Amino acid sequence: MIPMEYFLTFGAILFAIGAFGVMTKKNTVIILMCIELMLNAANINFIAFSAFLGDAMGQVMVIMTISVAAAEVAVGIAIVLNAYKMRKTTDADDLTTMRW
Amino acid sequence: MSGSLIVPLIILIPLIGAIITMFLSGSKARYAWIVSTAVAAADLVLCVFMMVVGDYAAGDYDFCASWIDTAGLKMSLIFTVDGLSILMLFLTAFLEVLVMVFSYKERDQANKFFALLLLIEVGLMGVYTAADYFLFYIMWEITLIPMYFLISWYGGPRRHYSAIKFFIYTHVASLVMLIGIFALAFEAAAVNGGVVDFSFEAIKHAAGFFDEVFQVVVFGLLFFGFLVKMPAVPFHTWLPDAHTEAPTAGSVLLAGVMLKMGSYGIIRINLEVLPLGAADWQWVLIIMGILAAVYGAYACIAQRDLKKMVAYSSISHMGLVMMAMGFLSDIGIQFAVFQMFAHGLISAMLFMVCGWAGHSVGTREIPLLGGLASKLPKFAGMMMFCFMASLGLPGLIGFWGEFGIIFGFYEFLVDENMIYLLVFSLLSLLLTAGYYLWAMQRTLFGDLTEKIDLSHVHDFNRVEMVCLCVLAAAIVAYGLWPDLALSFIDTYYLIGVI
Amino acid sequence: MFVEYVWLTVLIPLLCFVIVGALGTRIRHGGGLITVAGAACSFIIALLASYEFFTSSDYSEVGYVTESLEWFTVGFGSTSFTISIGYYLDSLSCLIMMFASFISTLIFVYSLGYMGDQGIKKRRYFAEVALFLTGMIGCVTASNMVQMFIFWEIMGLCSYLLIGFWGFGHPEAKQKASAAKKAFLVTRAGDVCLMGGMFVLFFEMGSLDYVTIFNGANLAAADPEMLALASLLIFGGAIGKSAQFPLLDWLPDAMAGPTTVSALIHAATMVKAGVYIVARCFPLFCMNSEVMLFVAIIGGVTAFFTATMAMNNFNIKKVLAYSTLSQLGYMFLALGAGGYLFALGIEEGSEELMAAGALGYTAATLHMANHAFFKACLFLGSGSVIHSTGTEDMRLMGGLGRKMPITSITMLIATLSIAGFPFFAGFWSKDLVLDVAMDAFKDAADPTCYVFILLWFLGVVTAFMTAFYMFRLWFMTFSGKARENAEHCHGESPRSMALPLVVLSVFALAFGFVLLIGYDGIFTIELVAGNWIVGGQAGEPGFHWIEHLFTNPYTYLTIVLVLVSISLAYLMYSRGSVNPGKFNKDGQSLLYRVIANRWYLPEIYDQTSWKLGYGVAKCVDYFDRNIIDGSVNGLANAVIGGGDAVSKAQDGNVHTYSAVVILGIVLLFAVAAALVIFYGVIA
Repeated sequence: MIPMEYFLTFGAILFAIGAFGVMTKKNTVIILMCIELMLNAANINFIAFSAFLGDAMGQVMVIMTISVAAAEVAVGIAIVLNAYKMRKTTDADDLTTMRW
Repeated sequence: MSGSLIVPLIILIPLIGAIITMFLSGSKARYAWIVSTAVAAADLVLCVFMMVVGDYAAGDYDFCASWIDTAGLKMSLIFTVDGLSILMLFLTAFLEVLVMVFSYKERDQANKFFALLLLIEVGLMGVYTAADYFLFYIMWEITLIPMYFLISWYGGPRRHYSAIKFFIYTHVASLVMLIGIFALAFEAAAVNGGVVDFSFEAIKHAAGFFDEVFQVVVFGLLFFGFLVKMPAVPFHTWLPDAHTEAPTAGSVLLAGVMLKMGSYGIIRINLEVLPLGAADWQWVLIIMGILAAVYGAYACIAQRDLKKMVAYSSISHMGLVMMAMGFLSDIGIQFAVFQMFAHGLISAMLFMVCGWAGHSVGTREIPLLGGLASKLPKFAGMMMFCFMASLGLPGLIGFWGEFGIIFGFYEFLVDENMIYLLVFSLLSLLLTAGYYLWAMQRTLFGDLTEKIDLSHVHDFNRVEMVCLCVLAAAIVAYGLWPDLALSFIDTYYLIGVI
Repeated sequence: MFVEYVWLTVLIPLLCFVIVGALGTRIRHGGGLITVAGAACSFIIALLASYEFFTSSDYSEVGYVTESLEWFTVGFGSTSFTISIGYYLDSLSCLIMMFASFISTLIFVYSLGYMGDQGIKKRRYFAEVALFLTGMIGCVTASNMVQMFIFWEIMGLCSYLLIGFWGFGHPEAKQKASAAKKAFLVTRAGDVCLMGGMFVLFFEMGSLDYVTIFNGANLAAADPEMLALASLLIFGGAIGKSAQFPLLDWLPDAMAGPTTVSALIHAATMVKAGVYIVARCFPLFCMNSEVMLFVAIIGGVTAFFTATMAMNNFNIKKVLAYSTLSQLGYMFLALGAGGYLFALGIEEGSEELMAAGALGYTAATLHMANHAFFKACLFLGSGSVIHSTGTEDMRLMGGLGRKMPITSITMLIATLSIAGFPFFAGFWSKDLVLDVAMDAFKDAADPTCYVFILLWFLGVVTAFMTAFYMFRLWFMTFSGKARENAEHCHGESPRSMALPLVVLSVFALAFGFVLLIGYDGIFTIELVAGNWIVGGQAGEPGFHWIEHLFTNPYTYLTIVLVLVSISLAYLMYSRGSVNPGKFNKDGQSLLYRVIANRWYLPEIYDQTSWKLGYGVAKCVDYFDRNIIDGSVNGLANAVIGGGDAVSKAQDGNVHTYSAVVILGIVLLFAVAAALVIFYGVIA
């Protein structure tokens, strides 16, 4: 059996990649994808703990997360699309008017 | 639930009236004035009924209902009436009616205007009758909100600044007061079997067990809450701003009754529950009182705006009240209350007259006015009357207030062996005469001003004259027969509050 | 049966005030007739009540009759203070009540003509003068000091209203309103002193009823220092009301009102109240000789300085105003010098000194009554002249004697009276005043007696100056050549104005003879077995006063001085054979300029009151605006600015936000880890 640490390490690496992407990537679509990565990292942890503890609750949470992620992507993409229509760009550095 | 329903009624009637008035918008707005005046008049009738019929001192008009009553926490809806509160109730109801009638010209969003006036009455009536600290606090805050909107919706050019200043000042103060109230309630819980009971009675019952340090600290917290409302120098600057920007009706209520909430609170809570604290704070009260009286009078001399001058005169006169409370003697309290009542009537008239000048003459700037007596004789007569009343002319109500307070001051100073301090109170009397006469000379006398266009200015009309004459008659009546008010303060004593 | 109704003398004018004030415009003459009738009723009741009182046993035995109702109570328990309302009649209050209501009636009759052309303003005038009379009679008949103080202040209000009668809608409105304000404020300064004195007295005596506070035993039992303080404070009130040095400046300015009002203020009401209060408190003041010395000094100094101010003034009303001040100074001098002797008499138990001191009281009260008559006559006469010529400047008058015979003769009588010409009313009282000052010099101890000889000297010089400036006034107005305005004067005034002049001149001529026909008892005060008795002494009918005055060599000195100064005035201003310009370098000498500027007193007052009032007020205002409000606004701005600064961290960039979030999480974990490692706990 694959030990627990492997799953957790994999999840952590995936989360780190996602976080790094969110912080550095300019394109908002990629930022959204990176957020998906982070969510999925959490999902992997849920699944792993669920399997090891023999509790179905973790899997329930994963289903929940996936549906929330779907909704989030739908809203996110819509925002990005609208922003693109208005500003002709998807670059996060240029979309900084929502401040102060 | 037990007791008489009259007191809850005098709070509920204006509340319901306010809600009804609020809905009279658009084409029905002209009924707003009628409805709200009728509601205020109904309240006045009930107040007079309480004064004349029945024995309020024996608790005929007390009302008690439980509100939050759990194992550890008790807040109740208790209303009581005694000599002190009934005078304030009468003053509130009386001025509300006059203010409504005086504002009959208000057309712009009249429904909201009159609803706000009624809401202020709800809060004021609640403050003066509540016998539960939490209820008292809630009612205290209720007065604040309609007054804020009254200033910020119907005020002058700098209304937003003034309204926010008024709100923040008094709100911060009342939060400090709330801490004091909590301290009282939790400290009393130890005596009351662990129940945090906010009722006046429960805390009064425990008051004997409060040690001196606790009393001094809590006195300070509550005192701060009240003195900002009074207001005392140096926490007074919200008042002139609020008055200059508020509409006439707002100014009248603010000076006439809302300022008295502060002194009422000091007498009702600080002096009654915390006698040891009061003994230690005594000189602070007296010195702050003298300071406010003299400082306010001096500030009046320098003012250019009539309403601002009258606002500073309020500070000066409330300083006398503060001083009188500091004597901690029968006479001090009696005349502190009497002066509160007297100042309520006089300042109402002052603000009506000066506010009217702003509206009808077009400006309240003293340097722009002059010689108005020849053009507006009724205005001149009324202004002179209320100025004379305020500077303490014998035969009018203001004289007895000042006379009694200085009498009490002398009594206090004889005990303390420092009668020379009397000079300060006499100085404030002299300065008061000075600024009023100077203002009168510059607005009413001399050559008719040419700096403003007076061709379309008309004197007081009949409705306004009726309001002012009623007030003037009250000022004369109480001046000739001060027992009309003093007898209630007697009763306040007889039931053994202090 | 009339004594019990003496309160009607107060109430009737008050009713007139209400009726005329409310309905005046709808009544003919603006309600003038109602006011006249009210004052006349008041006078008749005063007369009947006084007659009844003087013939009753109360007068001869205790010297007063009083009755009070409880009004209300201040405070509770031991320090409670019952304020009552009632009347207190003794010879002093009867005297003032009678002459005040009598002279007021005449002045009101005169006003019917004098104010006849004022139209709608007449209502205001007649209402206010009625209230003025209420104030004066209420003041003198009150049974306690609080009640007295109320009417005292009402008089202050009326003086304000009437001096400022032309304070608007008049070409010189600004000046007139300013004069009114000055009158009210200066007297108010005295009033607050009086109020303080009342409190001191109350806490010393436990009451403010005259019966209690002037009881000899109570006075003797009280703390003398506090009594002295109370006396000084009460005298402060008198200084303000009677315009004595240093609060004398308002009275000359008060000439801004109609001349009838000046007559009312100077003769019947207002300034007499100050003398009244000192005469009323004579027993109290006599408890301390130094207080009385102070009163005498103030009186003597005022008499002298104000007489100098009258010497070179050309305004007919102002000259009369200064003469009032000067005569009031005489009254205070008499009260002070007499009271000093009385106080010494009490200290040493000497009947003789007390009798000599009582002479001061007699002189002062008699002079007060005499002054009321001749000053009313002079003012009404000057009003008549002003009415007819349309100016107040004496340089524009002259030769009016032929055109206005009644006015000129009545004024001549009054002028002779004020100048102290033998056997005119003023002669008796003025020489008594000087006599008292001389007595005080003779009987006082070593250093103090020199003060009194100086005061006596000032008094004699004042008598000389009085005769001079009064005759200067009369000659400039009525004799010699007619100048500008006099040429087209309207002639003699209407009958309603002439009649009061005639009546008053009779009194100005003859009122002094009350001393000789057995009414001198009215003006006495004595201490019998520890009880103060005002009046009541059955005067020896007759001539001991003549003996008293004419065996005194100093009387002849003053008579000679008066005659000299009258002839001097005649030479200078009627015949013109002596040019007054020679004495003062044609108005250029230093003394002349100083006097013309009223010894620079008004300027000193204006400057100090401006600095102390407006200057401090400006500082307070600055402090209020900039320091207090500045710190409040500064605090608000600091909060707003801080919020602004922190909100700059929100740069709108997603990367920054996410970085902060992750940094936060890392920090949170680090803290949790630290807790676990160092404390072995999990949060």
